[in-house]
Amino acid sequence: MDALSVSHLEKTYPAFHLRDVSFSVQPGRIMGFIGRNGAGKTTTMKSILNLVHPNAGSIQFFGLDMPAHEFEIKQRIACIFGAANYYSQSLLQTIADVYRRFYPNWDDALYRTYLQHFALDPGKRLKQLSQGMSIKFALTLALSHHAELLILDEPTSGLDPVSRDELLHIFEDIVDHEGASIFFSTHITSDLDKNADDILYIKDGQIIACEEKDAFVASYRKVDGLTADLPADLKTRIIGFHERKGEFSGLVRVTDARGVSGLNFTPADLESIMVCTERG
Amino acid sequence: MKNLLYKEWKLAIHPTGYIFLLFGVMLLIPNYPYFVAFFYQTLAIFFTFMNGNTTNDIFFTALLPVRKRDVVKARLGAVIGLEVLQMLIAVPFAILRSQIIPTENLAGLDASLALFGLVFIMFGVFNVVFLPQFYRTGYKTGTPYLLATLVMTLVIVAAELVIQLTPALKQALDTPACTLPQIIVLFAGLLIFALLNLVAYRRSASAFERLDL
Repeated sequence: MDALSVSHLEKTYPAFHLRDVSFSVQPGRIMGFIGRNGAGKTTTMKSILNLVHPNAGSIQFFGLDMPAHEFEIKQRIACIFGAANYYSQSLLQTIADVYRRFYPNWDDALYRTYLQHFALDPGKRLKQLSQGMSIKFALTLALSHHAELLILDEPTSGLDPVSRDELLHIFEDIVDHEGASIFFSTHITSDLDKNADDILYIKDGQIIACEEKDAFVASYRKVDGLTADLPADLKTRIIGFHERKGEFSGLVRVTDARGVSGLNFTPADLESIMVCTERG
Repeated sequence: MKNLLYKEWKLAIHPTGYIFLLFGVMLLIPNYPYFVAFFYQTLAIFFTFMNGNTTNDIFFTALLPVRKRDVVKARLGAVIGLEVLQMLIAVPFAILRSQIIPTENLAGLDASLALFGLVFIMFGVFNVVFLPQFYRTGYKTGTPYLLATLVMTLVIVAAELVIQLTPALKQALDTPACTLPQIIVLFAGLLIFALLNLVAYRRSASAFERLDL
């Protein structure tokens, strides 16, 4: 049974339209959600959590319909939207004391472990924490009730590289040892290169890719070389074609690269795929 | 619901909500419009909602495993709690005033059961205007507060004027004595308070459920 299944989700705002969004997050997998600013990532996440009302579509968590089973679903998931930017005057222990009451599976020992792991002092006020530390506190709360699915919007933004790496390892631990699933959006595609199993890519409110990450990345090649050496028929198929001083660069599908010689083809990564796709 | 109420007390209520509870002491001022002593609590309620924008209270709460209607119910419960506490704390001061200051209040109604009945109506009117207006947006506090205090003031001024200008009513209600008409006004006020809060809850919950956060 999928941890999350979204079918034909639609949400219309005066200046934005989320169109026919369908995807599923399988148990024990990490799905990365990418797209440029304003593409619809947060709207998608808010829609599946019933924070905004979709115009159409169906959403199921663990086979349960949302919003009919909202209460039960929210006890089994954890959500973070950016840093913990709430109740800045309150002590961390006060916020945790309130938060834990809502989750029957709250694990106090696990909570203390994460506090220690992230070097968080529960006697501090939230406003005394840096952006990175407040993200860690938000994660500490989210991770301490054995959630079966974590929905995280930009969880790694604002963290230093060491903390990001730490966090990614924690994600892997949660998935590997607790069998939980993670659905997280980020601009830092290198994080997804490291540990995402699947990729969901949204552009202008529409899903343009939803597949296994390695297969998705392997289906593209970066290409560069002299413009003079570029066959005319290939030029039209290059994604994100960029030319300067007689040299070009871009992205091609593996199928388009076959049989072409004289150009430099290298493996693509998520960042180059996203940048070139957005460049058009 | 119990957890949400706990969240209100521990994280959401603005400190002035507790400080202004003590303003019942203003009933000891010999000549004073005593409604003002209770008006301060509406200001503290306004601060709590305004502070909620800074603390991202609604978003934090909406992500918890709670029903949206219960978010409204808990907030209204906290508001009612503050209002009723404000009145309960004022009661000893009203009794004390009648003991140590035997003169009539020249600035408005005496500290009587009728005053408390009208304060119930005042708070009820405030709640039924302010909360549904706030939950239409989930963040705008200024206009709802202005509107709520305007309607509340009009109702109270009208009630005060009718009592002061009608000799029979003035004689029956503008006195600290515990008379039957005073008891009737107190219980009528309590009933209207309950009804207005029910309407406030229904309209607020319905507006909040429609709201996109």
